[in-house]
Amino acid sequence: MREKLHICICVLCVLLAVTLGRGVPLLFSEGMPQAPGEDVLHLILGDARQELSAAMLEKAEEYFHGGLRDVDCEYGLESCEGHDHEAHDHEAHGHEGHAGEEGAAAKARDPWAWVDRRIHAQEHRHLEGNQSVELLPWIWAACRAAPQNVQAFQTGSYVLAKMAGRPEEGVRLLEEGVRANPNDAELSFSLGELLLNTLKDAARAEPCFISAFEKCRPADGPDGDEARLLKVRTLFYLGYLAKRRGDLARVRACLAEAEAVSPGHASVRGLRKLLEK
Amino acid sequence: MKVLLRQLGALAGLSVVELYRRKDLIVVLVLSLVILLPLAFFTPFGVAGASRYMNELALLLVWLFSAVIGLGVSSRLFPPEFESRTVYPLLAKPVGRGTLLLGKYLGALAASVSALAVFYVAYGLLVGLRQGVWFPAILFQAFVLHAGFMVIVTALGLLGSLALTPAANLTMCGLVVVGMLFFGQRLPALIAAQPVPGKWVLAAIHWVGPHLEFFDLRQRVVHDWPRVGWGVCVAVSAYALCYASACLTLAGCVFRRKKI
Repeated sequence: MREKLHICICVLCVLLAVTLGRGVPLLFSEGMPQAPGEDVLHLILGDARQELSAAMLEKAEEYFHGGLRDVDCEYGLESCEGHDHEAHDHEAHGHEGHAGEEGAAAKARDPWAWVDRRIHAQEHRHLEGNQSVELLPWIWAACRAAPQNVQAFQTGSYVLAKMAGRPEEGVRLLEEGVRANPNDAELSFSLGELLLNTLKDAARAEPCFISAFEKCRPADGPDGDEARLLKVRTLFYLGYLAKRRGDLARVRACLAEAEAVSPGHASVRGLRKLLEK
Repeated sequence: MKVLLRQLGALAGLSVVELYRRKDLIVVLVLSLVILLPLAFFTPFGVAGASRYMNELALLLVWLFSAVIGLGVSSRLFPPEFESRTVYPLLAKPVGRGTLLLGKYLGALAASVSALAVFYVAYGLLVGLRQGVWFPAILFQAFVLHAGFMVIVTALGLLGSLALTPAANLTMCGLVVVGMLFFGQRLPALIAAQPVPGKWVLAAIHWVGPHLEFFDLRQRVVHDWPRVGWGVCVAVSAYALCYASACLTLAGCVFRRKKI
């Protein structure tokens, strides 16, 4: 008799829990603590997603340097913009990993450090060419962990387009990044650059530069320096594309705007040269 | 001598049989398969060919499970014997405390290293099937050094099993293993950066603590670095044997003074 009572109470509790679970979000849809549409990762990790994404990018950096961490090297993945991998002589620099920070005298007295230097690789190297695909799983994880991590999308597109020789995949990744970060000017700019410089597709590139220009709103003072730099570079590309169409009025307008933003920048000189030609 | 070897063999055999009877190894292999199999078909951004991430994850699982098995086997060596009082008939026979200790240690070590061999064979097969590289020399070196890691960890677990409860033993040994693997390489830099009291503590850990990071060749295996010189391997293996001997000597002293 008691057992049947316990079973009935258990079943009633389960039914009540299910009913409340379905009914409460419908009745109090505006007062629920979490925003609708959030995925499982966001619910579990919250703001820690950014940290996880940053950790995944650091892992990619570690892989780039042959498994060494905290490498003192000017050619990391995060400084990849402007780094020509084909021209760079990777034999020329042999920086050591974190073990290189200790004094030589201390190293000589410490047998454990001596053993450690022989077990673990000390001088780093860089992944090149087809080996760069090894970075992709970590970059993929960084992009999925935090779609707001703009650096992850930019690094991923660089690896795909420049290192792995797959520019179309790089474009797709940047497009995904733009969809996830609709107000970010950097991603639109990077997409335009990739389309123009690598795929030579000016028709697809121009809307990206226009979008980047519209999104770019530099703040006053030193905080807006990076945004001003991005804006003047965007104006250069818009002027360059206008020149290709023969629209000199547009080029002059870009030059005037660039001179107002950053008169001494190389892009301004570039725009003047376009007008002189 | 023959009698001693027979006694050691019998004691050691018990631990090996115990490991395989408990089916811990099968559970661990199945768990590894469940984790690694989906990753084998993963193509980030539609690009195939990446393998290092999977090799690293597989080796991480090998290290994690081997440490768990090694500590689990060694921490269960003596407490169940004391609780169920089966240690008395063992010592009543002409088996000295030293022989019992050494036999138990060799058994735990044999069980742990045999499990380790299974893991490395599975890893070698995984890499061979995915990348076409079958059991390179660096993998053999990694196995030898990893066995040295098990020599020390098993000795630490055995020492702890005589002095601590099983839960405390597992916790302490686990902290030592994880701590040295993560921070052992950075100890000199940490010592240089710390003020005086902390500096002495870290220096004591650096000189006396077990440098388990010496046995970790994952970086070289995963990222295709050349293998370590065999002289260094021999030196590191000698370090493992010396450290384990020190732990066993200390365990022998504790066991001799222990009132059963």
